[in-house]
Amino acid sequence: MNGHEAALPLDGIRVVDLTQVFAGPTCTRILADLGADVIRFESPNRLDVTRSLITTDNDGKDHHWHRSSYFTIRNTNKREMVLDLTKPEAIAILRKLIAGADVVAESFTPRVMENFGLGYASLKELKPDIIMISLSGYGQFGSMRDFAGYGMGLEPASGISSITGYEGGPPMRTGMSFTDPYSGFVGAGAVLTALHYRRRTGRGQYIDLSEQEAAMPVMGAALLDYQMNQRLWQRRGNRGDHAAPQGCYRCAGDDRWCVISVSDDAEFARMVAAMDHPEWADDQRFSTVLARFDHHDELDAAISEWTSQRDHYDVMHTLQAAGVKAAAVLDGKEVLFDPHLRARGQFDMVEQPLLGRRPVQKHLAAKFRRFEAKTRTPAPLLGEHNEEVLRELGYGDDDIARLKAEGVIADAPNLPVPPQLISMALKLPYDRYIPAGILQALEPDYREQLGIADDGERAQ
Amino acid sequence: MGDRALEGLRVVDISQGIAGPYATKLLADSGASVTKVEPPGGDWSRRRGPFPGDIPDPGKSALYLHLNTGKRSVTLDVSVPSGQVVLKKLLARADVFVAGEKTSTLATWGLTYDDLCSTFPELIVAQVSPFGATGPYADYDGNSLTAMAMSSIMYNTGEPDREPLTTAGEPGEYIAGVQLWLGVLAALGNRASRGGGDHVDVSLAEAAAAADEYNAAMYAYQGAVRRRYYSRHIFGYPNDIVKAQDGYLVMIPGAGGFPSPLAGDTVSPMALLMEDPALDQSAFFRQGGERMIQWREFDKLIEPYLSTHSAAEIVMTAQALRMPFAPVPTAADLLADEHLIERGFFETQPTPAGELRLPGAPFRMSETPLRMTPAPALGDANAEVLVGELGYTTEDLTILSDRGVS
Repeated sequence: MNGHEAALPLDGIRVVDLTQVFAGPTCTRILADLGADVIRFESPNRLDVTRSLITTDNDGKDHHWHRSSYFTIRNTNKREMVLDLTKPEAIAILRKLIAGADVVAESFTPRVMENFGLGYASLKELKPDIIMISLSGYGQFGSMRDFAGYGMGLEPASGISSITGYEGGPPMRTGMSFTDPYSGFVGAGAVLTALHYRRRTGRGQYIDLSEQEAAMPVMGAALLDYQMNQRLWQRRGNRGDHAAPQGCYRCAGDDRWCVISVSDDAEFARMVAAMDHPEWADDQRFSTVLARFDHHDELDAAISEWTSQRDHYDVMHTLQAAGVKAAAVLDGKEVLFDPHLRARGQFDMVEQPLLGRRPVQKHLAAKFRRFEAKTRTPAPLLGEHNEEVLRELGYGDDDIARLKAEGVIADAPNLPVPPQLISMALKLPYDRYIPAGILQALEPDYREQLGIADDGERAQ
Repeated sequence: MGDRALEGLRVVDISQGIAGPYATKLLADSGASVTKVEPPGGDWSRRRGPFPGDIPDPGKSALYLHLNTGKRSVTLDVSVPSGQVVLKKLLARADVFVAGEKTSTLATWGLTYDDLCSTFPELIVAQVSPFGATGPYADYDGNSLTAMAMSSIMYNTGEPDREPLTTAGEPGEYIAGVQLWLGVLAALGNRASRGGGDHVDVSLAEAAAAADEYNAAMYAYQGAVRRRYYSRHIFGYPNDIVKAQDGYLVMIPGAGGFPSPLAGDTVSPMALLMEDPALDQSAFFRQGGERMIQWREFDKLIEPYLSTHSAAEIVMTAQALRMPFAPVPTAADLLADEHLIERGFFETQPTPAGELRLPGAPFRMSETPLRMTPAPALGDANAEVLVGELGYTTEDLTILSDRGVS
């Protein structure tokens, strides 16, 4: 049922997954990777919006909901039902499932679960030791609880953007919805903590996770500095208080970069030796940490002169071999090809229906000796497991046919317009994004490069 | 006050800095007994600060006080054989051993998982390092900056004509800490059902890469290589930080913010916000692709509104129109934030640096709420642990101390 043979830590644990988009599905994907039977739910009237994001080959064709890469990578290892929760019988099915479940996860705005009659108090009546987690932007109580929260706003709301940015420039977001995966990881740990407690005591509980709060420990030192010294941290690019030089340096090639971070004089001595500029160590501008902070711009110029003639990976390997902290700044393609990440299995290959073999990045980064928390089964098609799950609950052929006819379950969305029109609207204008600088490249032969071309064609 | 979720769990932690200590803070605040083994000079975060008045004091470092709540401190030099002997006595009584070193360093100390697993078959050895315990870069050094560089996230953060930008606050360390904590809890679950310890191996670089939203997916499913463009999403503009009359906010129109053919003739929430229904006729309101590419023209349309309204007012009005706009608070704003105060997020703790409001629990548990006690003074549990629990004499303690081992 879970698509795996080796024993996993959450074998036998069932998760009813009412989350959508990014943070919640990240949380439940980790639970699924650890062996839990995660059953996710969608509404035929309003699919998970990520089923429309980043369609394979930028083309949703006539079933965009099955071609989304965004949905695929965070919903592998899960099963799925499509239930129309506006129909009482759908709620009844959900309640039956919850009565046999261990964990319920949801990411609606507060009150929605109550409106369905599925608040924690009700769930506890169905299953006294249930563990319920609500992942929301700002938490289940407090004056901002009803605020709509998108991941792109919650990193700034946590304070992190106020200290991120170029020196003298405006606050900047990370180039993605950073606190979404972060709070998904935190949520998975919260559930594991609650499961540990349940093993010991037999008791379940309710977990209220506010994405704004989950990320705020990253601001810990800044929050305390303000209390101690009334000092607000300034934006300062890639520099820091504890390393000089520290920065991101231009390398040979088109938009290639390497970061370097030097903590002390000994590391600086190793760096100048590796760069074949031993005279810098004796230069009064650079010979001590304090001097290097004072002359950071001049030092950066000298380092850039050296790095700009070399490949970013060469800079990394040369400096690391000498004992200097350095790393190539990888783009989305390079992450897939990096030999170290490959050797350690950062991506699993999944045979995704309609899309063929595709890489899926690990979400639980921890590696173990006794098991592997990896992608085993593809992301579910819409309502793929409706019948399977209903049969497990004891429903027969006639029931299932009736539920289908009455629209309680579905395996296609109710769309207001033909799917081809939606697919057209979803197509991003990549031909214009390249000259605008929004895309670095578009490589039609990418499947050959990744070694998945034949599989892809066979599956089409 | 409620039970404690991890009551009875015994953790010995030799990690320093951020990632390992954050993982064990989460365990300690959940009720685990965490013995923090520091070198006789203290965890390096004790020297990191910030300090009150910028006067260095190992008892008053903000970073240390933040990351080591709920623990007790034992000083021990685990790089010398006599320190390793004492450490192994501690490990004999532990469920989890946390280390923040590369495999090569742990090997010189005889403290890798392979060194320990036959003597301590039930022990979970949790190791967090810049690039992981194995693989071609296993011996490389790093920090949050190198992790963000390797993740693809940094390449896509920043302005298009400038260098890639790291996210501040050392998030690479915190993500790795959370992943290490997850790994320990997963290994404990496995041990509970099947018995036996395990090696939990977390790399800062991989932990950060696991947080990638779609950079790698864009290549693996489209052949598209994304590039930083003012840190904006690929999906459309704005969804980004903008400047209002008095400060910044995040403008997120959301799924229904701009005119939609399905909405008929109703005025869009964005046009309502700006009190100008005519804006719905603009190509930049009607066509997302145009807005993304010709964003400077779109900015001209919204500038008159933004420059005459406060950030707080804009966020409140937009939220009332069901658009998920967000604030951009500073540390000072967060400490004064009404919503966070109502939620009781910050926890006031007495510390050697005075009373401080620490960031509270990252999630609320109804039965077993996380609780903090202040971070320990250096070696505050030396006698309790070495004499009281391991059976050394006070003379032994003096000898260990004289030799610089403790």
